[in-house]
Amino acid sequence: MATTIMVSSILATSKTSAAVVQPKPLNIPVVYYKLPNGLKVVISEDHIAPVVTVAVYYNVGMRLEPKGRTGFAHLFEHMMFQGSANVKKFEHAKFVEANGGSLNGHTDFDYTNYYQTMPSNRVELGLWLESDRMRSLDISEENLKNQQAVVSEEVRVNVLNQPYQLFEWISLWGNAFTNWNNSHNGYGELSEINAATIEDVRSFFKTYYAPNNAVLTVVGDVDVNEVKKMVEKHFGAIPSQPSPVRADLTEPPQTKEKRVAQTDKLANLPALATGYHVPPQNSPDFPAMALLVRILQVGESSRWYQRLVKEKAITLDLSGGLNYFGNEFDYTGPMIMTTRTTYKPGHTADEVIREMDAVIADIVAKGVTDKELSDAKISYRSNLYDQLEGSMGKTHLLSALALFRDDPQQINSLLTPFENVTAAQIKNAAAKYLVATNRTVIDRVPEAKAQPKSGQ
Amino acid sequence: MKKLLSLLALTLLVTPALAQQKTPPPAGAARPLNLPKITEKKLANGLTVVLAPLPNVPKVTAVLTFRSATTASDREAHPGIAQIAASVANEGTDTRTSKQIKEELRSIGGGLSLFSDADSTQMNAASLSEFSSRLFELMSDVAQHPSFPETEVKLAQENTIQQIRAGRADPGFLVNERFQKAVFGNHPYGFVVADEKSISSLTRADLRSFVTKYYLPNAAHLVVVGDIDPDKTFAEIEKAFGSWKSGTMPPEENPAVPQRDKRQIYFVNRPGSIQSAIYIGNVSIPRKDKDYFAIRTANTIYGGSFYSRLTRNIRETKGYTYSPFSSSNTQAKTGSFQAGAFVRNEVTGPTLLEIFYELDRMRVLPVTDEELNAAKEYSTGNFSVELASQQGLAGRIATIYTYDLDKNFINDFRPKIEALTTADIQKAAAKYFDTYRAAIVIVGDWDKVKDQVTPFGEVTIYDSEGNVVTKS
Repeated sequence: MATTIMVSSILATSKTSAAVVQPKPLNIPVVYYKLPNGLKVVISEDHIAPVVTVAVYYNVGMRLEPKGRTGFAHLFEHMMFQGSANVKKFEHAKFVEANGGSLNGHTDFDYTNYYQTMPSNRVELGLWLESDRMRSLDISEENLKNQQAVVSEEVRVNVLNQPYQLFEWISLWGNAFTNWNNSHNGYGELSEINAATIEDVRSFFKTYYAPNNAVLTVVGDVDVNEVKKMVEKHFGAIPSQPSPVRADLTEPPQTKEKRVAQTDKLANLPALATGYHVPPQNSPDFPAMALLVRILQVGESSRWYQRLVKEKAITLDLSGGLNYFGNEFDYTGPMIMTTRTTYKPGHTADEVIREMDAVIADIVAKGVTDKELSDAKISYRSNLYDQLEGSMGKTHLLSALALFRDDPQQINSLLTPFENVTAAQIKNAAAKYLVATNRTVIDRVPEAKAQPKSGQ
Repeated sequence: MKKLLSLLALTLLVTPALAQQKTPPPAGAARPLNLPKITEKKLANGLTVVLAPLPNVPKVTAVLTFRSATTASDREAHPGIAQIAASVANEGTDTRTSKQIKEELRSIGGGLSLFSDADSTQMNAASLSEFSSRLFELMSDVAQHPSFPETEVKLAQENTIQQIRAGRADPGFLVNERFQKAVFGNHPYGFVVADEKSISSLTRADLRSFVTKYYLPNAAHLVVVGDIDPDKTFAEIEKAFGSWKSGTMPPEENPAVPQRDKRQIYFVNRPGSIQSAIYIGNVSIPRKDKDYFAIRTANTIYGGSFYSRLTRNIRETKGYTYSPFSSSNTQAKTGSFQAGAFVRNEVTGPTLLEIFYELDRMRVLPVTDEELNAAKEYSTGNFSVELASQQGLAGRIATIYTYDLDKNFINDFRPKIEALTTADIQKAAAKYFDTYRAAIVIVGDWDKVKDQVTPFGEVTIYDSEGNVVTKS
């Protein structure tokens, strides 16, 4: 059924009589195998530029951090730059940058990743660096204290000293979910970040940072066979660990709408966030839901943007998506569709909600037009290409597909389920999931404050 | 246990290569860097067109830069007009409504937005490559025939005013605004956003005459990168942009660049702040200046990379901050160098001390050969990564024209970086990392941090609206 999108492309193009170019099918080469120690390995050659990305994705994220230790998965990510048997504290950065690369790590709901993009002739350096910390992370009391201070500043700069304090993530998840693993503050409470001990770090490392709980991905201007040898050399002897007992992430179904009122000491304008539980990725409703999210709120042509920002002019902006941090493929647990909007003084949250609901009611009653649906598919395809453009974007999708589906080859057929979505399925998804009982709403208004006192 | 040990011994015996390697593996042979072929052409109306095929994905990226439309244009009569013009230009043309434009963009997998800064107005657009001709038609329509519908102008005025109000709660917005004003004073580069009255007073007629005067093909360049066939793409561009009429170039201004004569503190009071947002810096050089590569590399070593001196000091050793940084922002007429960090109130003074210490160390002592070599590799390696993305390459080519650089900028980049010596770095630092005449901008809670701040110089205190509250 991959023809749906091509047909619509031709129709759309014919209006301007431009030559019709068929969409090029995706043909990304993927080599996938597992080492005896359980490490999943993905290699994809791409010779467009002399560049390579080397990344390790661990199958642990914020949801699995220990109780009483909010923010720990992220604190641990910082510890991975604090040295290992043969790489001193922070020298990972030195090696990568002094060899022409850049690097980072990221902690997400269900994974934590580490990556470097470098000139491709440095690929073995990247593999050595990642293998050294996977095998022999070296943690000292002093380095832990240092990174607790650094992460505390990160939380201050991005959350506590900011207007709105990321309420559309931290508060929304806190209220929408009931299972602690899903609902707790993943950036972390300062007191709990600073309570973490060396023992916590060692045990988390042993439990989750094992080859059998990870994917190693190499994408770029390299030779697959040479990389295979290097991978064997550096990762082959890292011992596997017993598979971690994974926390139960299931959520009881929500049966009543949740409404939360908050005040904000720092913000000047009121803002609103909503979260609707979405069907799991293996649900037949999922592709329709993903396209419905785009139709509602991705881009300035989207229905909610047009209604709230343009026609009614009651909000300043509109942002959000199906997965607050990532895409449709890079998570496993329960998810909410997030929407955030700053609304104008003189208007109310009820008014904003009423308009959002009117848009939903219209889709439930009349569905979406064929053109709207085919355009959503085109914009989805274009968005996927953006993700596939660089070696890091490709690395990310391949790694997520290997980590959560054990099948990175799916990268070449990712669009198919979305191409097959019908207007009837979109309508059905709206009726089934975009109901008040399935949502959480947070209204956050500026705290009435006295005129700021000036310094003397 | 015994069994385990013998198994281990066997493993070692059979595959000795699997022992943990203690030293970093050497680099392999460098792979060739095949830069896309860049073609420059001109339309009869004077529009410069630059094409570079980069078929990494079936998309096309286009950047249209109006060099004559800057935030300084028409600033006496209508401060802020360039920004409002940029934000409303894609909200309606003579033949398309705002909604039609957005819907058409979605149907070609595209996007199109404009923004205006001190050197130009840029239209950034992209779409699936199969729809490139439709993208060019849209771009051309927005460039030539923006209609500035009354309702769209009103909405943009209202929303811009509210967005600025929202921004005044954000320390990042406040510290940047005060820094630009402190460093550039009355020079056009000191402009960040207009006041509410100026924004409200703009009319549709003002905006229409602004674009007629400043959106000119003969003062613009269009860079197109992506999955393209240059000849076919050029024909599409000629068709879309060929009818655009050239105009009279507005006279170029060269206002005097301000010189700071002493160190001064500009403190934006934000009661309740639990961090101090700190920027320290000074005027530097235009992009064209011969010292560009030296100051760029000095910045990499000082605070412009992760393994930089500033990060190692105030983050990895002292734990004062999450993301210390420095940046060298060289623009058409001048530039600035700045260092900064967001730190908890308690370490505001110690952070200022370390930022200055590291700046002075760059000025007084040469960097090591190891540091310089690392910075060179960092710059040239990451330059290759940048050029491998459509936006990266298009943006880089566009700067060549915006800043009137040598056309060989991309090819010369590596040799120019590689030629630098430690003496060049020290000389650039001594000249531009000027600690004695630096502007120190802090956004924070004055009552909480004043005792840590006052030892560093004379203080002027502002409120978040930008009004001077008091001088210390």
